[in-house]
Order: sequence, then C-alpha cells, then structure tokens
Amino acid sequence: MNNSTQLAIQTEGLTKHFGAIHALQDVSLQVPNGTIFGFLGPNGAGKSTLIRVLTGLIHASAGHFAILGRRSKHNFHLRRGIGALVDRADFYKQLSGYHNLEMLARLSGHNKPSHLNDILHQVGLYSRRHDKVKTYSQGMKQRLGLGQALLGDPKLLILDEPTTGLDPIGMVEIRDFIRKIAEEREATIFLSSHLLHEVEELCTHIGLIFSGELVAQGSIEALFQHMGEITLDLDVTPTAVAEKFLQNHDLVKSCEQTATTLRISILYENVPELLRQLARQDVNIFSASQKNRLEAFFLAQAEGK
Amino acid sequence: MMIFTLIRNELFKIFSYWRTYMSYFFILLLVPLFFWGFSVGGSNIERQLTNAMGNHFLMVGKLVNAFTVAYFVLNFLWIHIPFLIALVGGDVLAGEEAAGTYRVYLTRPVSRWKIFLSKSIATLLYTLSVILFLGIMSIGVGAIWMGLGDLVVLQDGILVLPAGTAAIRFALAYGLSFLNMSLVATLAIFFSAMVKNAVGPVIGTMAIVIIFFAISSLPLDFFETIRPFFFTTYFDSWTKAFYDPIPWDYLWLSTWTALLHIALFLGGAFLIFKRKDILS
Repeated sequence: MNNSTQLAIQTEGLTKHFGAIHALQDVSLQVPNGTIFGFLGPNGAGKSTLIRVLTGLIHASAGHFAILGRRSKHNFHLRRGIGALVDRADFYKQLSGYHNLEMLARLSGHNKPSHLNDILHQVGLYSRRHDKVKTYSQGMKQRLGLGQALLGDPKLLILDEPTTGLDPIGMVEIRDFIRKIAEEREATIFLSSHLLHEVEELCTHIGLIFSGELVAQGSIEALFQHMGEITLDLDVTPTAVAEKFLQNHDLVKSCEQTATTLRISILYENVPELLRQLARQDVNIFSASQKNRLEAFFLAQAEGK
Repeated sequence: MMIFTLIRNELFKIFSYWRTYMSYFFILLLVPLFFWGFSVGGSNIERQLTNAMGNHFLMVGKLVNAFTVAYFVLNFLWIHIPFLIALVGGDVLAGEEAAGTYRVYLTRPVSRWKIFLSKSIATLLYTLSVILFLGIMSIGVGAIWMGLGDLVVLQDGILVLPAGTAAIRFALAYGLSFLNMSLVATLAIFFSAMVKNAVGPVIGTMAIVIIFFAISSLPLDFFETIRPFFFTTYFDSWTKAFYDPIPWDYLWLSTWTALLHIALFLGGAFLIFKRKDILS
C-alpha cells in the first residue's frame, strides 16, 4: 500500500458477505490523516459493517486494511491508537460511569484517575461520574461513549452514527464536541452518518456507499466541483432586473422566483462567471447559497447507482 | 500482565450483578437451616443409630456433628448449585452480546483469546468461591455450632470415619465437586458462546444435566451401555471420597472425564467466540 503513512485508514478490496447478502463489495477506501471524514450512505448501505470490520467486531470475507499505517494479521494490534464508538453507546448499566471508563481504560493501560477524570470533564459527566449508568439519559450514555473512545488520546476516532437517538440539543452538543476534539487533538475522525446536513456541517472529506459499494470519496470541495448542475438561491435586488437577466442568460438552465429569492439551475463551474456578470447589471447580490449541496450530490450519486 | 487485568475486570463485572450473590445467599440460608434441623431433630437420628448399632458396637461421642450435616449438605451439588453456577456461566458471553457491551469492550486493543480466557478463568474462580463457601459454611460454621466428630457414612453398610480422616475426605470431596461444577460452568459458557441472551444457556445447561441424569438412571440395557459416556455419570465422584478404601481408579476416571469435557466445552466455546461477528 502506498502513502499508507499519510492515510489514517486504507482498505483494499474489503468484502463482507452474510450468506447471500453482500454487505460490502470490494471496498477500497482512503481516509487521509487529520481529516474529518464523513462516511455516508442510506440505512443498510454497509456503513456500520465497514466500521465493525475496522474495529474488529466482525471478520471480513475478503480484502485487507491498514490503520494509521499499520497492517497486521491480528487486527487487535491495529486497534492501538484508535478510539471507537460503534452504534448506540451501551455500557455495564449496574456500574457507575467512572467504573465503566476505568475498566475499559485498563485494557489499553490508560487508567490513571487523572486521565479518567479529565475525560469525564471533557464530556461533561464529571459531576455524575459515580452514578450508575442505568440512571443516565441516552445523551449522557452517548457522551460517555465518546469519552471511552478518547481513552489513551487516540490518533483516529471511528464514530458510527454518534448522534443516533439524540434529541436536537444532544445532537448539537455531540457535533460541537466532535469539532472540538478534531481541533484540539488534531485527530483524524471517521464518522458514519445518514444525516447529510450533519456531515456537511462537520466533515472535510466524504465517502459514499450504496448497497455495499463505495461510489465516491474525496474532499467535499473536490467532489462538488464535479457534481454538474446545481440549484442556487439568489437574494438580489432589484429582483425584476435580475430575473430578466437570468432568464435570458445562456449559462442558466432555469430560473424561477420563490417567496424570497430567485432560484436558478446552473452548472457548478459556471457560478462565479454568472455572479460576476450579474453584478455588472447593477444588481445587488446579498447572498448566493446552494441549499443542501451534499443532498444534491448524494441524490445524484444515488440516481447513478 | 494484561491477563490479570482482564480477569480483574471480569470478576468486577461478575460480582456487580446481584444474581452472582444468589448462590452465597442460598448457602447462607440453607446450610444453617440444615444445622438447625439437625440440632433439633438430630437426637432422634442419633437414638435410632445407637439402637441399631448399639448391640454390636460401643457408641461413644456425638454421631450427629458438623461432618454429618456437611455430608448431607453436599447433596446440593446434584441440582441446586449447578443451577446457580449456570446462572453466572450462561451470562458470561451471551450477557455482553445482549447488553451491547461487546461494542465497547471488544473494540479495545486486546485479543479475543485473552478476553475469552479471562472470562473463563473468572467463571471458574467464581465456581471455586462457591464450593469454598459451601465448605466454610458446612464445616467451619458447623464446627462452631455442633462441634466436630467421627463421620458415619451409610454406604453399602455402615462406615465410621474418624474425625481426622473425615476432614481429609471432605477436602477430597470438595476438590472433586469443584471439578464437576467447573464442568457445569464450562458447559454454560459453551452455550453462552452460541446465543445472544443469557436465558438460553442456563436452560440448556440444566436441561442437559437433568436429561443426562435421567437417562443415566434408567435401568435399561441400551442406557447402561451409553451411561459411561455421560459426564453426569461421574457427578457422584464426591460420594466416593467417603468410601473405604477410596476407589481411586473411579476417581481418576471421573477426573479425566471432567477435564476432557471442560477442555472440549472451552475449546468449542472459544472457536465460536473467536469467529463470532458482533452484529448486535
């Protein structure tokens, strides 16, 4: 494998069958170091299967992978230096949050009380650390899940739908927390989700998986540049002048007025040129926003499948 | 020493469940009840024995003592204690899968082999603790309550074991019991590796034990032929510790049978556990 040291995760031809079901088909993924990588796909596409293979919970039928530049026959060695939260966070309910964390920390030799308390502070559970996990809300369990993933200061965090089952406030908290970890620890974060806005908000890179096949991967900006036609909402005045200009413009495929904006269809690479020309028409451009860029990209890829 | 850390974790988990303490509570409750029963009704038993043997022997001292009661208490080893041990052994692997805790535990940088080994050792340590507790409660507390004395064993006749010999025989009986209960524990672990909830392994283990006992006791030629191949056939090995002379051949056979089954059950359980995909 080339460039393996620059890649936090690299898979080659990773395949997993459950009987006749092909959960992963020849997946070759590359996750660069230091990125927040969003792994996207609809429910049942194979996101969790890939994560479970990477974290050693399930065995691949074929192919291999490297984590943080390391390959090993015994994949528990690969789990050194990574933290993972797979699916919903479940713990030993009869034990306290602290004891759960302590028990898991012993497995990687990072069980100093100061380290554990530091993590509990970070995830906002310090004051509840001695309460049994069965008294925690799902949001608290999820934060404890993130806490256990942070044990030993991992260089790679693998998070499988970390906001699943949380209320909107909990989701925002977790996203802020992930962003903070990425900034403060300079760790690579590999995040699976089917929430497009979540990925668009957090991630620098994405990978798209449909029916077990990886259909796209790379930086968000690079992928969007190749996405073809997009929908753009323009907040402009005077609207009538702008509308007339846009309706007759060669670069614009369609133009319609919404309640507050002019909505146009245009090729992604033609946007800067169109905006330049529009400004020359004495039109004031307050904003030009592409709503749900990722959604458009995702749907385009889904149609391609 | 990672394995000690893992065993410590597993013991911590086992002893954090209230069901783990059921066996101790059971012993704590029933053994004193036996002592109370014997101390109240023991004089009748003693009188009957004295009447029956008084014509042939000179009876001196107490016939009903801590050893006598401890000998009766050992009968818990047929069904009751196996059930309580299966409760813990059956949960040790399946319980984690049912609770979803494998998703955090198995993603740590530890091999499944070590995790399996630690779970098995922890379960066997628990089994040992139950047998030791049974011994302490039966003989230790019994000695304070009723005092020690010679042990009268009714086994194809009457055998009187002097107190010193009886103590050694009890040590042997508890050792053999530990082996048999370890077999039950490993059978529960084997079932536990196969399923995703802890109820199945407990029922499965007890079903096997009871069915094998039932088949073993049927006086039919066919069952007589296959009887030696059932591990439950040798569950009576502790009773043989009180024979005179001790049937060492039988005890060695029972020991090897138990060890072989333990190895088979643990080996099978490990193969299943190692290859298992954690999907829950």
